[in-house]
Order: sequence, then C-alpha cells, then structure tokens
Amino acid sequence: MTRLFGTNGIRGIVNSEMTGGFALGIGQAWGTYLKKTVKRPRIALGTDARLSSGMLKSAVAAGLLSTGCDVIDVGLVPTPTLQYMVKEKRFDSGVMITASHNPPQFNGIKGIAGDGTEFSKDTEEAIEALYFSHHPSLAAWTDVGTYFTWDGARDLYISGILSAVNVSLIKKQHFHVVLDCGNGVGSLVTLTLLKKLGCTITPLFCEPDGRFPGHNSEPTQENLGVLMQTVPKVGASFGVAQDGDADRAIFVDEHGAYILGDTSLSLVGKYITKEKSGGVTVTPVTTSTCFEDVIRANGGSVIYTKVGSPVVARTMIQTKAVFGGEENGGLIFPELQYCRDSAMTLAKILEILATEKRPLSELIAEIPKYSMYKTKMACPNEKKISVMNIVVEHSKNNPDVIKIDRTDGVKLYVKGGWVLMRPSGTEPIFRVYVETKDKAFAEQLAVTYKALVERLIQHG
Amino acid sequence: MSPVMSQPISKQIFRAYDIRGLYNKDISADVFYKIGLAAGTYVKQTMQGTQITVGSDIRQSSPPLAHAFIAGVSSTGVHIQHTGTTSFGQTLFAGVTLKADLIAFVTASHLPPEWNGIKFYYGDGVGLPEDKLMAIRDLVLQDKFAVVSWDKIGKVDSVDAKTNYKNFFTTHFKFKKKLKVALDCGGASMTFSAPEIFTALGLTTVPVYCEPDPTFSSRPSDPKPKNLTTLVEAVKKHSCDFGVAFDGDGDRAVIVDNTGTILSADQTGIILGKHGIKKKGTVIINVECSKAVKEQLEPLGFTIKQIPVGHTFLTLEAKQEHAPLGIESSGHLILPEYFLFDDALVVPLKIAEILEAVKKPLSQLVADLPLYPTKKEEIACADELKFDVVKQLKQKLTAEYPHVNTMDGVRVDLENGWVLIRPSNTSPIIRLTVEADNDTVLQDLTTQFMTRTLDIIKKNNPLKG
Repeated sequence: MTRLFGTNGIRGIVNSEMTGGFALGIGQAWGTYLKKTVKRPRIALGTDARLSSGMLKSAVAAGLLSTGCDVIDVGLVPTPTLQYMVKEKRFDSGVMITASHNPPQFNGIKGIAGDGTEFSKDTEEAIEALYFSHHPSLAAWTDVGTYFTWDGARDLYISGILSAVNVSLIKKQHFHVVLDCGNGVGSLVTLTLLKKLGCTITPLFCEPDGRFPGHNSEPTQENLGVLMQTVPKVGASFGVAQDGDADRAIFVDEHGAYILGDTSLSLVGKYITKEKSGGVTVTPVTTSTCFEDVIRANGGSVIYTKVGSPVVARTMIQTKAVFGGEENGGLIFPELQYCRDSAMTLAKILEILATEKRPLSELIAEIPKYSMYKTKMACPNEKKISVMNIVVEHSKNNPDVIKIDRTDGVKLYVKGGWVLMRPSGTEPIFRVYVETKDKAFAEQLAVTYKALVERLIQHG
Repeated sequence: MSPVMSQPISKQIFRAYDIRGLYNKDISADVFYKIGLAAGTYVKQTMQGTQITVGSDIRQSSPPLAHAFIAGVSSTGVHIQHTGTTSFGQTLFAGVTLKADLIAFVTASHLPPEWNGIKFYYGDGVGLPEDKLMAIRDLVLQDKFAVVSWDKIGKVDSVDAKTNYKNFFTTHFKFKKKLKVALDCGGASMTFSAPEIFTALGLTTVPVYCEPDPTFSSRPSDPKPKNLTTLVEAVKKHSCDFGVAFDGDGDRAVIVDNTGTILSADQTGIILGKHGIKKKGTVIINVECSKAVKEQLEPLGFTIKQIPVGHTFLTLEAKQEHAPLGIESSGHLILPEYFLFDDALVVPLKIAEILEAVKKPLSQLVADLPLYPTKKEEIACADELKFDVVKQLKQKLTAEYPHVNTMDGVRVDLENGWVLIRPSNTSPIIRLTVEADNDTVLQDLTTQFMTRTLDIIKKNNPLKG
C-alpha cells in the first residue's frame, strides 16, 4: 500500500493492517516530521472507545517518545475535544486513535495540526514518505520525550462550547433530549454538556463500548430505529445521535422523523447567516442545493469545495467563513474551532430552538426539499481522468447543461438539478449523485448519465 | 502496512536475571515491542495467564520502552495494568495485589543512565529463572508471537501503584520514637516512594538527593561505598540514627550506621536476623556471603542454605523454604514476612524498628559482629572464554580440596577462609572473592588463586600463551 492516509486518517483492520508495529512506525515518522520544525514537540494523544485503543495508543506513544516528542495522554475523548485542546493549549500536533463510524474490527490514526484542524494532504504525504523511508530520527536517551497524562480535556472543551452559545436562553426552555451515543465516546462530554444546558436526558447506548452492541456506529436512518421510536414515546423535544468519535451529529425531530444531514446543516446555516446578516459559508460539492437556497435567502454566499472536512475547514479559514460543514452531519463552527463538532452542533440546535420557540419539525419544514439519488459505477482507475475529460467535452456541446464545475470530479448543472460524478480515491468506481426538485426526474437523469458514462468508459 | 522493524536483535541483551542493553544500540522501542509480544505469548501459552502488570523506573528512556512493551503484550490478547513511573517496590506490590500472572519492570537497576532493560517476576514476587527468560528470548529471536484478532486485544488500564503501597507500610510499621534517618535516593526511582513514606511513618528524614534526577547527575545509581560520601557526611553532620542509600530502581538498600560506617549486605542481613526476626527458619544466603552470617545466625536457631548468586534464586529459594530472611551479598535483602521480592524500602524500616526495640545505637550492633577482611578481584577474560576457564578450575580444585561447592562458579572452603571464583554474567571478567580470618591469610589466598586462574586463562588463549 503506497497511500496510508485516506479521507479521514489512516484506517485498517486491527492486527491485520493496523498492528502495534505499524502504529509504532507511524509514531516515529510523525515525530521525525515534527522535529524538523520544532525542537521539542508536544503532542496530545486521545482515543475513542474501541477495544484496540490502548494497544494502538501505546504503540504511537512509544514512537513519538522515541523520536523526542513529549506526549500528553488525554484518555478517552471525542475527536473534536482533542482538536479543541490542541488549539487552546497550543500543542504542536494531536493524534486521535479512532476509526470514526467504521465497524468495530477497524481502528485508525487521525492527525491534528497545531491549529486544531485535521492534517493537510501535504503533511500526510510527508509523514507517509518518512514512514516508508524506514529511517526515523531517534532521540538519544537524554532527549527522549516525557509522557504525561491529563484528564482536563473534556472539561476544557465543554466550557469552550458553553461560552459559544447563549446558555441562559437554552436553560430556560428545559429541553428534553434523547441522546444516542451509539456506544461511542460522545457520552463522555455530551451528557455533562446537556446537564449544564438544563436539559432532561433520555440516554441511549451511552456506555462507551468498542464492540458497539447498541447499533452500528454510523448514524444512518437504518441504525437509529431505537432513537426514532424513543423520542415520541418519551415526549422529548428531539433526538440526537453521534457517530463513534462524536465529530458528527444527526437529528430526529419531536415526532421521531429522521432529519437528513443536508437539512440540519441548512437549518444551522440559515440561522447563522440570518443572525450575522450574511457571510461566506463553505460546503463540499455533494451537499444538497437546499443549503445554498437558505444561505442566499439570508444574504450569505456559498463556496463549494472538494469532499472532505479538512478541505472545508481550511477553505473556511482562508475565506473567513461564518459557517461550514458536510451533508453527513459534520458541522464546523469557526467561533469555537475549525473542525467538525457534534457537541457544538447540538448546543447550536438547542440555541436555535430556544430562540425560535417552535418545534424542530416546523423549522425543518421550512428548509426546501430536493430528491437525491446516489449510485456508483465501475471504472478502471487508469481510465478515470480521461473519462471525466470526455464527459466535460461532451457536456460543452450539450444544450441541457447550464454549468460545468470541476471542483471535485465533474458536476453538471442542468435545468432543475445537477449531476455529479466523483472518482473514488480507494476503489475503481465513480460515485454518481443526482439531485432535482422532482423525484422521478432525479432517477431519469441518473439513468441517462449513467448510460452515457458507461458508454464513454467502454470506448474511452 | 509492513512493520517498520528490520534490524536483528542481539542475543546478548538476554541475561541470566533480566534483559539489559544500551538504549538505541542494543534496545529500542522496536525491540521492546517484540519483547512485549514474546512476554504476552509466554503468559498466554505457557502460563495460561491473562494479565501483566508493568511499570518503569525513572530512566529517561523508560517511557518509549514501556509503551512499546505494552503495545506488544496487548497485541497478544493479554491485559495490561500500567503503573507508570514508579519505584521497583511500588510496581511489584501493585502486581502482587492485582494477582498479575507476570510483573514486568523496565529498568537497568544500578547501571549508568544510558542503559535500560526489563526484569520479570511472577505474580507472587518470585523472579523469573534463567530458563524461563530464555524461553521468552527464543520467542523474540524466532518471531513466534501469538497475535490475536481485533476482538481479543488486551485491555490497557492505568493503575495507581502509590496509595496502596504507602498504606501497606503505614499499616505494618509504627514508630513511637522519632528516629532521624539520612535518606539517599540518588535522584532515582526511590524518590517516588521513600521520602513520602518515611515522613508518613513519623521518621525525621535528612534528604540526600531526594529530587527526581533521571540523569543521575548527583551520584551514580550504584550505591557503592565510594558513591556514598555525601550520605556518610549527612549522617555525621545531622547526628542521624542511621542512613540509607538506594540503587537506581529500588531493589537494593545500603545502610550506614550512626558513626558513618557503611555496612555490607551481610552485616545488615545479620542484624536483621539477630534482632528483627522472631520466626526462626532457613535463612537463604548466596555463595558470596561472609562466613560471619553462618557463625552468627546458626547459634540462634536459624538454618543456613547457600544458593547461587542472583536475586532470582534468592526469591525462589525463600519461597520454597518459607525462609524468614534472604541475603544476597550484592545488596538484595528479602524479608518475606512483608514481600518475597527484594523491595529495598523494607530494609531501613526494619532497621528502624530494631533500633527502637533494642534501644542501642546501630554502631553497637555492628561492633558485636566479627569483621573478616575480604577482597574482590576482577580478572579480565573474554566472554567466550570465561565459562570454560571456570569449568576447568572446578575440575582441578574439586580434585585437590575437600570442601568445594560448585553450585555457582567454584567456592573452596578452607579452615581460615574461603575463595570463590565465578564468571561474571554481564562483563568479560572472572570475579575472585576471598574472605579470611586475617589480612595475611587473605593476601596469601588471593595471590594463590589469582595465579591459578591466570594460568588457566593463558593455557586457553593461544594468542597470549
């Protein structure tokens, strides 16, 4: 494998690809990289609740320490908690041992830069190159790093969130929230946060457990059946589910209806641009048009990026954006930090409900609805670029195509919707996304373009 | 994602009682990851065990080694209780209390700070014997590791080794008199336990190098007499009842009496036996111990059992014989009424208890003991030669003398003294130890047996012969 880092860090099956020896080597490459610019780097190290967390954490720590980095072990934390600490306490880097929402046999290593954002591609590539060179710069015994533990990261993060929302306004409403942590690490901060915001909590799967006995840790509609049933049963204001490392949040309204990530993203975006009377927002090309609709309606603008939260975060920094996020429930609030943050998202939703004093279903009903159709098609990796170029050439002469966007893959705007084909970074496939106002039209567009591209793959 | 390790691991790091090497040369995080894999495999397959307690001494290179070891153990499905940076006694006590299958301590004992290593003990505090260590070595060298699937990975838990350990001492020792003790931790691992526990017990301490100092800049971590000048001065200057110095990890204590005289382990051992132990039984001593031990303790009803050099034998024999006391001439003393393992902290506390009971100064107890002159010589001899040379000496001397003991090297007991010749386990030398009734005999025996050893070395080494 020549490429270790995927869209969200390094992932692999534990003791298959993701072994202690591998993690030790990554720790050493990481330390070697940091030592190039910092004399004595300080690294914060956290994990989610997976069964292999302790093993991989020890291995990464050994690697970092042996290259002369000080390691501060913050224990079990959500990813955004570690990111916040790295930024606030001015660490040189953070390492998060997590495989996010992946099945329990997986684990991974995610890199955090000194500003709390996820590693850039350049940093990841530099660390990979050092890993494969097999020549870590090991520190002499006199310069080996020191290992500390600190359990203040969760409290630091909670107080950060509390200072970013209107606490007294939220408290007055005495919300009742059903919290589904999916046995991830989210409960370690979210329970405390909700209590501090004066909420009554009905907890679901709030015991961190790396086997994920409650449900698969990806907060999809299929996985959140219990949450959807519980909310109306207990008469809660709404329900919220966090993924395994609690950087993403998905909501369920007071009737138990699942709210798509695009919709909650749009609701928060709408509220923020309204409050700030406009501003720049950032989201990947895969996000539903409903986001752009509500942002524009409130005087804001949207910048589209490639898929991947690090790109969204970095673009937000460059453009001084007021808000950003992904369609999967990963929302980014610049007033707190430039990373996806489920607990902050939850606090913001509470603030919106407290301000609007209307049920969540009503606020959601005001977000425009589109039909999204997703499919994929096989394409050999070496043909991907030429196929995309041919699609672009073909589309230039197509009167139905209003605009061609090459931000990530090829996105064609047509009357009443758009079609996006993105090459997968890991598999020999194209992912195809079609969105229109009308459901039947989405399927029709998908069929048309799939047929076109398949013809081009064969002949191209 | 192939493992990063590729350099071969030196067989030499695996010694008779522990694993040791120079950091970044013989041992590294990569090597300790494999040692962890091997230790976990050994615990699981040979011992049918499930957990290892691990801690490390104050050395600067200990954290990466300990963490790499933990990752290896955990990969084999064996659970870890990590005590962090502690004294030897704290981690051993935690392991015994937690009923660990194996207790591992990352340390190079008294060696200079650029060294490190690891020692293994069973859950009852008995050291792992050489053949078991070699079984772990073979797993490392043959890469035979029983790695488990993701759902069986060992848990890694942090445990507090300090509170329970301290409570043990405050429960088992009570002092009415406020004794004054000069305490020399050499800036090493005993700084984590001794000052706090001495104070908690109401002893007045005069601290000497009690601040953590992982580079051992104040004094070398070996508490040899020449390294204890500051302690001796402190005892005299502050009129202390006694003084104590510890080695780097805390498995050896050296006692200094109220006049500033440094006691040998034998002297300390005899005083512990004579004045501190009610339950008579078999006292375990090694072949290097003074004949005074036998002369002093046998008349009191103790039986003496000689064992080879090495603290592993000491703990093992003490367990088998239900011994109340064990003495290793190198400074390891065990008092199994407290622990089977050689925790250095019990020694000064037992001495304090004795002083309170006998109401005499320590110097007077020392004066009651015979003091035979001894001599220790190191004869240079290549590693590949030293064992053979001693073997040949064994054959010759056994034929010549009536009282020859060959359990560890060769010891010849004579009417007016004894001679012990052993190959060093750690250095390219042969050690000659002599004890005699007086200096003339001592000199005579030393010259005589040194010449015989050198003759055999010459015969075995054609280049020099």
